[in-house]
Amino acid sequence: MRVQLGRQLLDRQLVDADGLLLGKVDDVAFALDEQGVPYVAYLLTGQGALGQRIGGRVGRLLVTLADRLTEETPGPLRIPIGQVARIDSAVRLRVRADELPRPPVEAWLRRHLIDRIPGADRASG
Amino acid sequence: MKLLAATLGVLSAIGGFVDIGDLVAASQAGARFGMGHAWVLVLGVVGICAYAEMAGRIAAVSGRAVFDLVRERLGPRVALLNLAASYLVTVLTLAAELGGVALALQLASRVSYLLWVPVAAFAVWLVLWRMRFQLMERVFGLAGLTLLVFALALFWLPTDWAALGHGALHPGTAGQGWGAYWFVAVALFASTVSPYEVFFFSSGGVEENWSAADLADARSSVLIGFPVGGLLALSLVATATVVFHPGGVSLSTLDQVARPVVLAFGGVGLAVAALAFFAVTFGAALETGLSAAYAAAQYFGWQWGKRVSPREAARFHSVLLVSVLAATLLLSTTVDPVRLTEYMLVASAVVLPLTYLPILVVANDRTYLGDDVNGPWLNLLGAVFLLVIVAASVAALPLAVGTGMGR
Repeated sequence: MRVQLGRQLLDRQLVDADGLLLGKVDDVAFALDEQGVPYVAYLLTGQGALGQRIGGRVGRLLVTLADRLTEETPGPLRIPIGQVARIDSAVRLRVRADELPRPPVEAWLRRHLIDRIPGADRASG
Repeated sequence: MKLLAATLGVLSAIGGFVDIGDLVAASQAGARFGMGHAWVLVLGVVGICAYAEMAGRIAAVSGRAVFDLVRERLGPRVALLNLAASYLVTVLTLAAELGGVALALQLASRVSYLLWVPVAAFAVWLVLWRMRFQLMERVFGLAGLTLLVFALALFWLPTDWAALGHGALHPGTAGQGWGAYWFVAVALFASTVSPYEVFFFSSGGVEENWSAADLADARSSVLIGFPVGGLLALSLVATATVVFHPGGVSLSTLDQVARPVVLAFGGVGLAVAALAFFAVTFGAALETGLSAAYAAAQYFGWQWGKRVSPREAARFHSVLLVSVLAATLLLSTTVDPVRLTEYMLVASAVVLPLTYLPILVVANDRTYLGDDVNGPWLNLLGAVFLLVIVAASVAALPLAVGTGMGR
C-alpha cells in the first residue's frame, strides 16, 4: 500500500469496522524488514503519543496527563498496520472498538461521571 | 418544505448573526452610524455562505467535520493553538448567551437575570443531553424566526425607506470618527463569520448522516439559512436607525433593543420581542456549547455527537458539561454578558484565518471530495474572502486598542 505519510496518514481519524471513532493517528512506529528497509508497522493513538510528537512544554503536559490518567500505564494504543482496511478521508480499520483496550480517559469519565447521570445509556439521535 | 430542510442553516446563522452580542451590537451600530454598516452584513453573508457550502459539502461527501480538517491540514501544533483559542472564545460566548437567555427572562418576568442564570444553564444542558438533534434544530431554528417582528415593525414605524437606502449606500461616520466606524465594522464582520458557525453546521451535517445524495439539501440549508440570519440582523440595524439614529442615543440593554418593536406594537410587541430574544439566545447557547465540544472531540478524534448514547461518548459529554458549568460560574461573577461578547468578537477576529484556510484547502482536495471539489468561481470567491478575513484579523487588535473598544 502506498500512502503519503504526512498528508494521508498522520492526524487522520481512526474509524472502527462499525463506524465508531477511535482517535487520531497521533504517530506511527517503523520496523525494518529482512533487507533492512523501514516500513510503517504500527499506528499509535492516544494523548501520550500526541504529546511526544508535539514536543515542548505543551507536549510534555499532554504526556504527563496521559500517564496520570492511565492506571497500569500501557502507553499509547498500537494498531498493527495489517488491521487497516482502507484509507480515504479517514483510516478505516477491520477491528471493532470493543476488541481493543478502551481509552483510559474515556473509561474513567464514563465510570465516574457520565454513567452517574440518568439517561446516559440512551442515544438521543 | 424547503424551510424545514433549512433549519440547520437557520440555527447556525442565528448564533453568528443575531446572538446576544449582535442584538446589542447591531442595534448599537444602527443607533450610532445609521445604515452605514449594512454592507458589512451583506459581505459577511456572502462569505459565510461560500465557506459553509464548502464545509457542508465536505461533511456530506467525506463525513469529516471542520475541526478534523483543521488538524489534518495545519498539523497538531497549530491546530492545538486554534483549538485553545476557539474553545476559549466559544465558551465565553456560551456564557454571554446564557446571560442573554437570563436577560430575556428578566425582560419578561422582572426577576433579576442572575436568578435565571442557573435555570437557563440547566435547561440548555438538558436539551444537549437529551433532545434529538433534528428536533432541537427545528424547534430553535423556527422559534428564532420570531425575530422577524423587527422587520415587520419597520412597516408600522414611520420609516423613511429612501433615507435608509441612501444611508446604506453612503456609509459615513455620523460624527463618531473613522476609528470607531471601522472597529464596529470589524466586530460585526467577525460575528457574522464566527468559526463556531461552521463547526456547528458541518458537525450538524455529520449528525444528520448526510451523504453525497444530500448535497442539494445542504446547499439550500446554506443559501436559505444564512441570508435569513443576515436579514434578521439587518432589520435590527434598520429599526435602530429609524428609532434611535436621529437622536444619537447610545444603547446598551435589551429593553432598549426591544423599544422599536414596543413603539410599533405596544405590549404585544414587547412579549414577542422577549420571546424572540429568548429563542435566539437559547439557540445560540446550544450552538456554542455543542461547537466547543465538537472542536475538542474532533481535534483528539474522540467519539462525539448525539447519535450515540452519552456513555459511548463520555469525553464529548464531559466537555459539554464542563463548558456549561464554566460558563455559569463566569456569569455568577456578575460580569456584564454583553460587554463580554465585545471582547470575544475581537479575540475571535484574530484567529479567524486558522479556521477558514483549511476549509478552502480541503475543498480542493480530491482525496476527500472526488469530483465534488470547488469550481474556479467558488475558489476565486473563497480566496478573495480569505483576504478580507486576514485583513480583519490583522486590523482587529490595533483598532480595539486605538479606539478603546470603539468608544
